[in-house]
Amino acid sequence: MQNQAFNTVKLGIFVLTGLFLLILSLYILGKNRNLFGVGFELKTHFEEVNGLVTGNNVRYAGIDVGSVTGVDILNDTVIEVAMSIDRKMRDIIRRNAVAALGTDGLVGNRVVNISPGKGEAPFAVSGDQLASRKEVSTENMLQTLSRTNENIAVITAELREVVHRINTSAQLSELLNDRTMSADLKASAENLRRATAKASDLMSQASGTLSLAYEGEGALATLLTDTALAGDLRVAVQKISEVEESADRLVLHIDEAAKMVNENLQYGQGPANALLRDSLLTYRLHTTLENVEKGTAAFSENMEALKQNFLFRRYFRKLEKAKKKETESR
Amino acid sequence: MPGLSKWNAVMIISKNSGVFLQEIGELSRFAARFWREWLRPRYEFREFIRQCFVIGYKSLPLTGLTAFIMGLVLTMQLHPSMIYYGVESLIPSMVGIAIVREVGPVLTALIFAGKIGSSIGAELGSMKVTEQIDAMEVSGTNPFKYLVVTRTAASMVMLPILVIISDSISLYGSYLGNNIYERTTFILFFRQVFDSLVVADIIPAVIKTFFFGFAVGIIGCFKGYFTDKGTEGVGRAANSAVVVSSVMIFILDLVVVQITDLMNLYD
Repeated sequence: MQNQAFNTVKLGIFVLTGLFLLILSLYILGKNRNLFGVGFELKTHFEEVNGLVTGNNVRYAGIDVGSVTGVDILNDTVIEVAMSIDRKMRDIIRRNAVAALGTDGLVGNRVVNISPGKGEAPFAVSGDQLASRKEVSTENMLQTLSRTNENIAVITAELREVVHRINTSAQLSELLNDRTMSADLKASAENLRRATAKASDLMSQASGTLSLAYEGEGALATLLTDTALAGDLRVAVQKISEVEESADRLVLHIDEAAKMVNENLQYGQGPANALLRDSLLTYRLHTTLENVEKGTAAFSENMEALKQNFLFRRYFRKLEKAKKKETESR
Repeated sequence: MPGLSKWNAVMIISKNSGVFLQEIGELSRFAARFWREWLRPRYEFREFIRQCFVIGYKSLPLTGLTAFIMGLVLTMQLHPSMIYYGVESLIPSMVGIAIVREVGPVLTALIFAGKIGSSIGAELGSMKVTEQIDAMEVSGTNPFKYLVVTRTAASMVMLPILVIISDSISLYGSYLGNNIYERTTFILFFRQVFDSLVVADIIPAVIKTFFFGFAVGIIGCFKGYFTDKGTEGVGRAANSAVVVSSVMIFILDLVVVQITDLMNLYD
């Protein structure tokens, strides 16, 4: 009899354990789904809910704060989602909070994510409607990815063509295999470095000169600041301009004179024109000059013969002596 | 088969069908009588408590051990596949749903059918062939109420409790199995399990185990209550009680899953 009572106690423990586990499970599930909590209801509108159903979690800044209590179609573009929110969030969620659809993990259940809005707003109360944000759907992302892939395919094809051209280009191959190229490039780089150094020096010198000019010292400062010099320069420039005008006029006169000479030469009746244009005259002149040359030679020969003649020998000796005396007296 | 004409085949099939249908009818009448007798006083409460202890409490080690091993093995078998897909963090959720919805109730019910169905069938069968049931009738005790109602009711009440405890043990086994491969805290594991579950996972699973318990109890009692042909019949009663109740568990499971699916309870 005592044994039977003990068995009954063990049975009682067994049954109570089972019931406790059942109630505990239901309590945890109910707490997770906010079935027992006295919360407040918020609403939001979406264009599409992508499989959101009653019982899905609602999160505020990533923390579970409630669950979806209803998903109703208001019209063809608006779906109203009702959410039961934990009462302790009454002093946290504001009216400018924004609701968005999300996924629990990559392949998990749908959730409604509420995020704080910008700026100040009063706390949300039961029945308030929160603004919603359209999510970036996986479908849209895949469509964008598809276009990106197509672009990448085109770019790859073009790149392949470019690489093929580079590989088959004789000039480029020669350029790449040219061993002197690196030396030339080094030399160019060295020259560039020197040029840069010189440019740097020049710049520092220019900087110094400018500094002096700012301080009012040196020729540049005089050039920049001396008003008298500026006046002289202005006068000089004016005179240069006048000289230029005179030169223009002179050139005009010379041009006219040249034209006149040219006309006289071309169409005039003077000797110059005959000399330039008349070939017969030229020939005659040439013949005359030859005859003169011949006559001069014959005359010179006659004069030599005359010097040797006894009648004129004495006269010529007298001339030589007088010439010699004049030279010695000098 | 040589010498078996078509006519003979038809006769055999129709005879077997007749036997089968007759057994179905008798089982239905037996079940209806159970509900009548259960509701009608006088209640054999003391015997009911004793049967609860024998059927429920004493089955716990066996069902608990199998549940623990099932949770452990299920997790270890799932782990490589989940690693392959990079979703090993979903193991608690997956195992939790599998155990609570299906594996826990069905596996526990099958173990229960093997242990209790055969026990009831053999016990009542031996009482039948030794004419103890007839003696009870003669002594003015209602044998149906005392033997059948108490055992079936105990089976019906104890199996859900066994399933709940077995599910818990199974989830603990799964937790240990998960910790073989990676460190997961007890709180995180069970939080992930309960995050993936809803009330609609637990309630239908518990409700269907009432029917499983009823099926095991009533079939075991039916097979034992109508045993004949001496000791050979006792063995046959025990055997057929296990086989029929196991098949009935699967059929009931199919029906319950269809009903819950039509009701969209999991959405």
